Amino acid sequence: MNRDLRRFFQLLRPHRAAYAAGAVALVLADGGQLVIAYLIGEAIDALAAGTATPSIVATYAVGVMACATVVAVSRYFWRVLIFGSARVVERELRQRLFEHLQTLPAGFFMRRKVGELMAHGTNDIAAVELAASLGVLAGLDAVIQFGGASAMMVGTVDTRLAVLTLLPLVALTPGTYWLGRRLHAAYGHVQAAFARLSDTVQESVEGVRVIKGFAREGGEQARFETANQEYRRTFGRMLRYDVAFDPMINLLAGLAFAVGLGYGGLLVTDGTITLGRYVAFNTYLAMLVWPMLALGWVTNLLQRAAASMARLDALLDTVPSVSDAPDARPLEHPRGEVLLRGLTFRFAPDMPPALADVDATLAPGTTLGVLGRTGSGKSTLGQLLVRIFDPPRGTVFLDGHDVTTLRLDDLRRAVAYVPQDAFLFSRTLAENIALDPRPYTREQVAAAARLADLERDVHALPAGYDTVVGERGVTLSGGQRQRVSLARALLRDAPVLVLDDCLSAVDSATEARILSALRRYTRRRTTIIIGHRVSAVRHADEIVVLAEGRVVERGDHATLLAAGGEYARLHSRAQLELSLEDTAP
Amino acid sequence: MTAGDAFHDEDPLEATYDRALVAWLLGYARPHAGPLIGCVLLLLLLTVLQLGQPYVIKLAIDRVMRPATLAESAAARQALGEQLWPLVAVYLALVTAAAVLQYAQALWLRVTGQRILAAIRASTFAHLQTLSLSYFDSRPTGRVVTRVTNDIEALGELYTSVLVNLFRDVFFVTGAMIALVWLDARLALAGMAVLPLVAVTALAFRSMTRHAFRAMRTQLARINAMLSESLSGMRVIQLFVRQERNAAEFGAINRAYYAASMRQIRVFGTFGPALSFLTTLALAAVLWLGGLRVLAATLTFGTLYAFTAYLRQMYEPISALAEKVNLLQAALAAAERITELHGTRPDVADPEPAAATASLSAASVRAERRAGPAVAFDRVWFAYNEGDWVLRDVSFQVEAGETVAFVGRTGAGKSTIMNLVPRFYDVQRGAVRVHGTDVRRVPQAELRRVVGVVMQDVFLFATDIAANISLGSPAVDRAAVERAGRTVGVDGFAARLPQGYDTPVVERGLNLSGGERQLISFARALAHDPAVLILDEATSSVDSETEEALQRAMGVLAAGRTMLVVAHRLATVRHADRIFVMHAGRIVEQGRHDELLARDGVYRTLWRLQADGAAGR
Repeated sequence: MNRDLRRFFQLLRPHRAAYAAGAVALVLADGGQLVIAYLIGEAIDALAAGTATPSIVATYAVGVMACATVVAVSRYFWRVLIFGSARVVERELRQRLFEHLQTLPAGFFMRRKVGELMAHGTNDIAAVELAASLGVLAGLDAVIQFGGASAMMVGTVDTRLAVLTLLPLVALTPGTYWLGRRLHAAYGHVQAAFARLSDTVQESVEGVRVIKGFAREGGEQARFETANQEYRRTFGRMLRYDVAFDPMINLLAGLAFAVGLGYGGLLVTDGTITLGRYVAFNTYLAMLVWPMLALGWVTNLLQRAAASMARLDALLDTVPSVSDAPDARPLEHPRGEVLLRGLTFRFAPDMPPALADVDATLAPGTTLGVLGRTGSGKSTLGQLLVRIFDPPRGTVFLDGHDVTTLRLDDLRRAVAYVPQDAFLFSRTLAENIALDPRPYTREQVAAAARLADLERDVHALPAGYDTVVGERGVTLSGGQRQRVSLARALLRDAPVLVLDDCLSAVDSATEARILSALRRYTRRRTTIIIGHRVSAVRHADEIVVLAEGRVVERGDHATLLAAGGEYARLHSRAQLELSLEDTAP
Repeated sequence: MTAGDAFHDEDPLEATYDRALVAWLLGYARPHAGPLIGCVLLLLLLTVLQLGQPYVIKLAIDRVMRPATLAESAAARQALGEQLWPLVAVYLALVTAAAVLQYAQALWLRVTGQRILAAIRASTFAHLQTLSLSYFDSRPTGRVVTRVTNDIEALGELYTSVLVNLFRDVFFVTGAMIALVWLDARLALAGMAVLPLVAVTALAFRSMTRHAFRAMRTQLARINAMLSESLSGMRVIQLFVRQERNAAEFGAINRAYYAASMRQIRVFGTFGPALSFLTTLALAAVLWLGGLRVLAATLTFGTLYAFTAYLRQMYEPISALAEKVNLLQAALAAAERITELHGTRPDVADPEPAAATASLSAASVRAERRAGPAVAFDRVWFAYNEGDWVLRDVSFQVEAGETVAFVGRTGAGKSTIMNLVPRFYDVQRGAVRVHGTDVRRVPQAELRRVVGVVMQDVFLFATDIAANISLGSPAVDRAAVERAGRTVGVDGFAARLPQGYDTPVVERGLNLSGGERQLISFARALAHDPAVLILDEATSSVDSETEEALQRAMGVLAAGRTMLVVAHRLATVRHADRIFVMHAGRIVEQGRHDELLARDGVYRTLWRLQADGAAGR
């Protein structure tokens, strides 16, 4: 807790000059208001003493306006300085978090849900910002306004009156703190009830076929109504605390004014203080209410910020498990020679191996086909080459270098990897193809699209290459997405190309057309084609068939067909499927 | 840079003030008119109690303090001092009563607001239940859920910010104005001289804050969109060594959000102080003019004091009014989306009572044990999206008690037939009849008691096994649940579970295997005992023991009813009375298993493919 608070204040440290300037502006704003109250009191006294003339009254009025001007200007500045600094803190923290997340490997994102990480990126950062703006303001004001108003009370009015009226106000701090905590806890219940309500609705939307199929709409309505009423009751319990703030403040402040009226009135009647000072005192008293509240607030805000800080730090302190070794080697002119030597890999020590004792040698420009069913380990093979996961030392080599000793960025620039799940960003098609940060011309993008058999699809889109696609944009078909993903890799012109079952959503005829068009491209590159269809790998120089992580057959197409094993069986099955596709309806 | 633009389509911004919308909202408030009027009356009383407080101090100044400063003798002063206590007592009474009343009023009003919201939620959900599958098909689940949850929550702002605060503020401002005029009409005029200026400033403030907030919301939505997209696509970003570029792009959005938030800070920093400056201006004017009047002895000190207090009470809410109007607009935008949902009519609607036929009901079908075709398709054409025909001129008849199977490749139209029998969708051409009655002429609920469906993708609710079988239907009691469970073989694994049939199915059935979930859905169908059962067989591979259990269960289900099965594993339907082979939206072959196999057609190829697949497993 303390450590987290310290780290929170460390975030503010670089901006201490701005915060200090904000504090000065706050002093001016608060001071100006105190002077206004003082001037009104003095004016009343001058009137009461009969020493006032119209010009003296006018002078007081002008003095009040002058102070009001100072107050208005300083208020502008403290807002910009204090709230502005908090926004800078927020911006920097968010950027740091984003850049750190980008260093974390695939394994991390498999363990953590996107929604959960999003919550850190939104709620936790918002909590820190709130503490850096309102929290700091409340803390400063608690000191400055409290100090100023009570000093005016003691210095210009009466010490005992000040102490007596403060007694009820002091209760505001624990009162706010206590109510704030109860409210926060009750709000937690409300959120939980809201989540249950949402779940109920979500379930009835997802299960709509069952509900309609069994005509159970009425039952659903009853189920929903239970959650609905529970939410309403929980909300009602929270309201008990929520609506208590204003009455509590009014009651305690009212008590203070009552004490002021009784004791202050007595002091006026016995001549200890003047009428003007009493009037000014009432204004000082009103100005004390906010600092007392603020003190209770600050505690809550800082507690929440500390909790958020702890969660954010846990993320920021996560060390990426796949990263450059301290003595990582650059790879300047990759040739594309790939070597797998006795590669055995497990995702966790207690799991069966995903790959067992796999050997392969790819001279630059050759093509390896990897065939296997789902779960055979064929995708893992490609993932280890680009270090989505780190292979064991001494098993995977590029140009004679163990990949784990190479600089990660260099390795990934040398190997263009096309994953099975084609992830598109909600940007234009051109931007999605030119994902590689190096500059590419529109002609190069179009050439890559042509190679991936995407060109006709592009022309059918409303804005061609400038059509916004992606998860929520114009929906492309699964096959189109995969071809975009392929084009994006082809554009990079890397010496090694890995196609990881990346055309599973296109029909086999299109797949065959794309692969044969690619053959000229792949002749100059080392290529690994991973697939579950014979048609995808048949032209490879060497084909390995994987089953449960092991190589069960290897050879070229003709050899494997002749061997009459798994490969031959898959081949005849593919022939049958083709015949069915040809059947006329 | 277009990342996230697609996320802005739901920005709750411009809501045009719409009389129909307000009427709709008032419709829900009407049943609570009593409490609402009660709350307004309490508010009136509260306003009086709170405005009375400065008045007591005015009295103390005019009747006690000012005379005391003029009094000559100490005795006279002390006598005056004695008069303070009744005033302090009245003040204390006002403060306490106001606090208690304020708490009670606010709680009552907001609890009433929650009741109104609960009613809106209930009717929104009820309306959602009447909509057809096509509505749900075309919308992401999250968006539909939002209508019933978050949008109504935003509507709740209407009750907290408008009914509670706006009303209170209006009462206070009016009350303070009346008090000012009543105390001294001429001075009141001076105090309110800046009011037009305040109004103009507040209006300008309103439009500027709205723009500032909109800019912030837009930028924040872009930040969240890019963050979420980058998290989902992190692997691709890393593979393309795009981290630096991505960080720069994120930085640009991050800075744009920062710039928008700074604009908002400056807008608030300008207008907030400007409004309080105007308040002080009014105060100074009152001080000056009032001071002159005090000098001329036409105004008392107490009145001058009360003036300063009431002026503050008047201007404060006016300054805050602008922000509340913005909140009101957001709430109205949400209301608009909810009314839009309420205005959506189901594509598949029940017949008008006059056009409905009573000739089909679960009871009548069972009682009469009707012979003849149980399900008939008569030249049916169907498309989910216009022009994109999924079924082309499909006709067939299934006799009562018969078990028929539909086979074919993915996309051949098998599952669509299963969707049309219980009328999840309406056909474009032709007709679907169940026991001789066109499905469009029967109330949907009645039809679906006759036609039961077991889907390929088993959906389990997050309750226990028993409730998943009964679905809470009063017609299915515990004994029926257990009977059905025993018959299809749910008993076997339920007995091994800690609480038997009362074991919760965690997170949509994650702790049950695919086969077990399928068995539960069989038990569900059996317990509801439909005359016609549609069964979309699961494709997921199950172990051979479960497969046997499923096979047995299917046999039990078929007994005594008409059954239409979509088969993915041909082996499971080889004993069907008839098999329909579908291809590209048409029935291309039909007959018994051995007949079809004897022909060298589609069925034979499918069979060989599967036999081959099974051998390789």
